[in-house]
Amino acid sequence: MADAGRHPNIELLTLSEVQRVDGYVGNFKVTVLKKARYVDEKECTACADCLEVCPVVKPDEFNLGLSTRKAIYQEFPQAVPAAFVLNMEDCLGNEPIACGKCLEACEKRCIDYDDQDKEIELEVGTIIVATGMEVYDPTELDEFGYTQYENVITSLEFERLINSGGPTEGHLIRLTDRKQPKTVAFIQCVGSRCEKRGNPYCSNICCMNTIKDTLLIKDHWPEVQCKVFYMDIRAFGKGFEDLYKRSMAAGVQYIRGIPGDIYEDPKTKNLILTAEDTTTSELKKHEVDMVILSIGVVPPGDMDNTQQQLTLQRSADGFFLEAHPKLKPVDAATQGIFFAGCAEGPKDIKDSVTQAGAAAARANRLMRSGEVTVEAITSMVDPELCTSCGICARVCPYNAIYVDTKKKTPAVVVEAACAGCGTCSAECPFGAITMRHFTDEQIMAQIEAILAENAQDKIVAFACNWCSYPGADLAGTSRLQYPPNARLIRTMCSGRVDERFILKAFKLGAPIVLVSGCHFTDCHYINAVTWTQKRIEKLWDKLESLGIRPERLQLDWVSAAEGQKWARVMREVEQLREAVTAKEIEHTKRVITEDMLKKRTKKVKAKAEAVA
Amino acid sequence: MAEEAKFKCLRCGHGFTAPYTPKVAEERACPKCDSNSVRRLKEKKDS
Repeated sequence: MADAGRHPNIELLTLSEVQRVDGYVGNFKVTVLKKARYVDEKECTACADCLEVCPVVKPDEFNLGLSTRKAIYQEFPQAVPAAFVLNMEDCLGNEPIACGKCLEACEKRCIDYDDQDKEIELEVGTIIVATGMEVYDPTELDEFGYTQYENVITSLEFERLINSGGPTEGHLIRLTDRKQPKTVAFIQCVGSRCEKRGNPYCSNICCMNTIKDTLLIKDHWPEVQCKVFYMDIRAFGKGFEDLYKRSMAAGVQYIRGIPGDIYEDPKTKNLILTAEDTTTSELKKHEVDMVILSIGVVPPGDMDNTQQQLTLQRSADGFFLEAHPKLKPVDAATQGIFFAGCAEGPKDIKDSVTQAGAAAARANRLMRSGEVTVEAITSMVDPELCTSCGICARVCPYNAIYVDTKKKTPAVVVEAACAGCGTCSAECPFGAITMRHFTDEQIMAQIEAILAENAQDKIVAFACNWCSYPGADLAGTSRLQYPPNARLIRTMCSGRVDERFILKAFKLGAPIVLVSGCHFTDCHYINAVTWTQKRIEKLWDKLESLGIRPERLQLDWVSAAEGQKWARVMREVEQLREAVTAKEIEHTKRVITEDMLKKRTKKVKAKAEAVA
Repeated sequence: MAEEAKFKCLRCGHGFTAPYTPKVAEERACPKCDSNSVRRLKEKKDS
């Protein structure tokens, strides 16, 4: 942090909040609100003269309320810049000045009560999202007695407690009597790996954090007995197993089983834990002086804002989703945006530093070249057909299309920002947008070729490039059995599947059409898949109104890892196909042809009226 | 606000009710066959 603060090419904006992000890779415009510090950060030397005279006493947030701070304070000992900050909500000295003691005490005259928030505009080429994580609040888990019993604390509170810069200057005490505990219990997976309460995912860092804490205790206070209650110990990193063994060799007792409840002896304030050791099937009571809940990590509360500002995706666990878990693990789906640290998922310091290095390198590679090479699959607007309705801009997950609906200027695609999902093209009611290498003509030609012979025996399946197509591929390479009459049409995203493609397939005699894409949380084009679902829902209504069974249009979300699902879907869809009669297909062909003719006549009439 | 809506699976024909929030796109699956071809049944307005 100090290195970053001193680096000539790094400008640190502390006490700042991103308000708005516009633009695209290479041309981002970021509006930042730099909040008033009320202390000149360049002049302040953190001499603490102001701190000594400040009469306000508040809980210290950094020490999680285990100590106090003043209204003017340094947020944490190694804060960069090493300057104080005045919390104006706590201060007594502003409007009207009732105190002003810090102002008098500061020899360098660093304090300015009239300091104002400032809005800063930045032009940047790339953005690295390193918004970190928060810890799980275990209050809802009644059985552990957190906030009910003072001697039950979280692992983060314990971290502050035994830190040499913490509230006890590194002395291990329990909170009720300030005496050194004789026995300490750690409970693992609090708020993690639970479907019903807390979070279903593993928080990655808690096992090793507990092992480190037990070793710290054993190094400094060998007489303290440690018991660790766990489900599994996940010590999979380099050297982690050795650390685990060292902890066991130091006398730490590992008990496989999570306590069902904790209650306090009102006299001694000791805690009694009841837990089954699943290795021996014995139910035992354990009396300890202190319990440390090894809490999991959760995404920060303001992720929604960041997600909207940067058009990012999030996985089911709430953390940001990378563009590709193996090939682009630090890239966001939006070009020019990268992830570092826990913003992308729970990880330890080593992994965070590795990812930060990778993100910096990825950003640097883009910045040094000074130009972006886009894949030749972006969308193109035909200005003569565009009516400036703005639908394309509304559905674009990347905000890559600009349309001035008032001035009625044709839509413009920012190719550097376009990822090529094709949702704009599928949604354009005027056929004014097409996709390079996935043009309407190309896809229509594939449909025609598929249905040229024995159309009644075929299943026309649209599969997205990233999930469903590889899912089908996996089914094949895994040698899973499924009916061979499916004919796949690959599109970059299921969002590209235009209503006209489906109707064309039915018109040419397709008994069944399947549209398949990524699961919502896996969508490689942020939220393009939601437009697929909306479109299919509308089409089901339309088919029904035309007297066609909606069941003949099927929808499924199949991920790249779901080869089994793909095979099952194909078997089920084949059963549906067998139930479609020749008479039904003929009826479908006729009604769709009539509907298309009706529409065309209406269009021609409208054009003729407009000319007249 | 989420409200209850009726859905029909277009794969197995199973009908069920599930929470539904208008204008919020959610991935839906049939509780019986796990298909995603799940159609919300709109209530017909009385004429």
